[in-house]
Amino acid sequence: MLKCTINGKEVEVKEGTTIIEAYKEMQEDIAHYCWHPGLSIAGVCRLCVVEIEGNPRLQIACNTEVRDGMVISNVSDKVEEAVRWGLDFHLINHPLDCPICDQAGECGLQEQYMKYGQYDSSMAENKVKKRKVVDLGPKIVLDAERCILCSRCVRFTEEISKTNELGIFNRGDHSMIGTVKDKPLDNDYSVNTVDICPVGALTSKDFRFQQRVWYLENTATTCPGCSTGCSVSVYHNKEGAYRVKPREDKENNGYWMCDEGRNVYKFVNKEARLLSAKTLNSGKLSSVRLAQALEDFTSFNREGKKVGVLLTGQNTTEEYKAILEMFAGADFFHWKNNEEKFNDFDGLLKRGDKNPNTNGLIETISNLKDAKSFNASNYDLTVAVMPENFLVYEDYNEKLESLKASKNLLLFSAAKLPKMELKTENTWVFPLKTFVEKEGSYLNHAKTERRIQKATSIVTEAVALNEFAAAVSRGLKININHHESRKQNEFTNIPGQY
Amino acid sequence: MAIVVKRINANRQWYLWGILSGMGFTFGKMFKNLFNKKKMPTLNYPEEKYEYGPRFKGSHILTVKKDGSLRCTACMLCATNCPADCITIVASEHEDPEVEKYPINYEIDVLRCVYCGFCEEACPVDAIRMGPEWQTAGANGSNFSYDIKELARRPALKGGIESRLDDKERHSQGI
Repeated sequence: MLKCTINGKEVEVKEGTTIIEAYKEMQEDIAHYCWHPGLSIAGVCRLCVVEIEGNPRLQIACNTEVRDGMVISNVSDKVEEAVRWGLDFHLINHPLDCPICDQAGECGLQEQYMKYGQYDSSMAENKVKKRKVVDLGPKIVLDAERCILCSRCVRFTEEISKTNELGIFNRGDHSMIGTVKDKPLDNDYSVNTVDICPVGALTSKDFRFQQRVWYLENTATTCPGCSTGCSVSVYHNKEGAYRVKPREDKENNGYWMCDEGRNVYKFVNKEARLLSAKTLNSGKLSSVRLAQALEDFTSFNREGKKVGVLLTGQNTTEEYKAILEMFAGADFFHWKNNEEKFNDFDGLLKRGDKNPNTNGLIETISNLKDAKSFNASNYDLTVAVMPENFLVYEDYNEKLESLKASKNLLLFSAAKLPKMELKTENTWVFPLKTFVEKEGSYLNHAKTERRIQKATSIVTEAVALNEFAAAVSRGLKININHHESRKQNEFTNIPGQY
Repeated sequence: MAIVVKRINANRQWYLWGILSGMGFTFGKMFKNLFNKKKMPTLNYPEEKYEYGPRFKGSHILTVKKDGSLRCTACMLCATNCPADCITIVASEHEDPEVEKYPINYEIDVLRCVYCGFCEEACPVDAIRMGPEWQTAGANGSNFSYDIKELARRPALKGGIESRLDDKERHSQGI
């Protein structure tokens, strides 16, 4: 361990730690654009300069290792002057695009300008004009003017995705990032370059102009896109979720996530969702209040009935436990979407098993049968839990079709259902909560527990399976808690009413 | 607690003096206005209307560029700054890369608006102003959610107010 003093505070760091890492460990502010913990050191932005006692010149913190007894500071006048000038150079050719730039609000340049700058341009020369709104592949738009040439994206394609599409072309003022002959930047991890871009040079087509970032809150959760279970942040406001970004998690996904995982917010928003509970009313499915449907189901006598339960690996372990307890003695079927690809792995993050909790299902329910042998007409009551990410299920519609043969059907679905003509005796359809609306845990490919957090409430009538089981088993004498944090007045909590 | 009984003294009990002085004031004003109509301070609204100064903060105006298209870049700073939360903007990608972002929908709920003028102050490109018009009354069922057509191209604006800030001029100056 090495002892050093950072901004007047003494700390001990491991051998080989760079100064900037020591700053990050201490959670002291330090300006930087080109340094990224997941990438190699470039040392091009010159903004992380620090003053080291005994050293006449300022040093860059990202490429200087801590030595024993070092006295380091980045709050002296000398450093601030240097950062101010460094920023001035970065801003020489930077356009005044902040009002239309998607990065505004989470932009490194903006933050530094507010902290050190707030001056007018003192350049006599005109700004160098570069290419704007360049279509760089199916997911990314490039604005070369906004680029400050930190080379993070170039290093990402070199070191992480190893696809080497991006490069810096030309020299001096005319340097630009781009791809050779405008070949598309299209790899499975390309949107990570948007995340690591400290300015708005690379923007995601999917999120472009959808929302200003300061309108969005983010919640730390787990990506349900595949069995890796990357740590992600879901960005949402009261209208729904807008994007998913990776969250630092050194053990699991590092700083990255795949492009496919970024689509998981698409099936949670209202347009794609089943909004209310439904029951069969004179041959037709009609919307009813959740309480009504629950009451309807509890009045159905389940004693001695043969029950078949169809499950996918897309629910939380807590939900599986609840459903196992509720339908004890039933036949449980595991519906797999692409079993032959379950063990596929692309070497970085992406896995073939597109369910976050296949292991959780297998561990919780021991006597699982394959859904290929599932026949709805064999059972008095069929319980089907449709997957929330139905896009990865190729046989989704066929399965839905096969449920029509059931005698009594209890159907859970987060997604909007197509028009169904049912010949069942009784049918109850309940809207299911998606991963942004519930808490719970997944068991990922390595059988480590991944937690999901409740971010927002999109469909107010939706229930999670464990909430449903609790409500039914206690004879509706509880409220389904949409707002866990809000404590309800006990005098207004009338049993059986919602 | 004791109750204090207030007794009006004798000369206050005689109220005729008060009535007479009040009447005198009323009739004095009446005769003054009858014979000197020009100095009368009230207006016969709606036949006569008061013209406020150009800096009066009345109905919102969305300014336009030289080619007549909207100046607004849909940066949403007005909506962010709005204390009444009455501005709704839907942004979209413009086919011209020089413009890049523009609003496909811009709505102000004027019944919620408090006419504070914060939107005008927040705007970086002089796209929204508060004009001198102040009569926004409407009959039953009229629409108080003003859209782009109303805000930028209502007849009172005579074809639109041009913004002071032009991107092409700005670019030619090398900024």
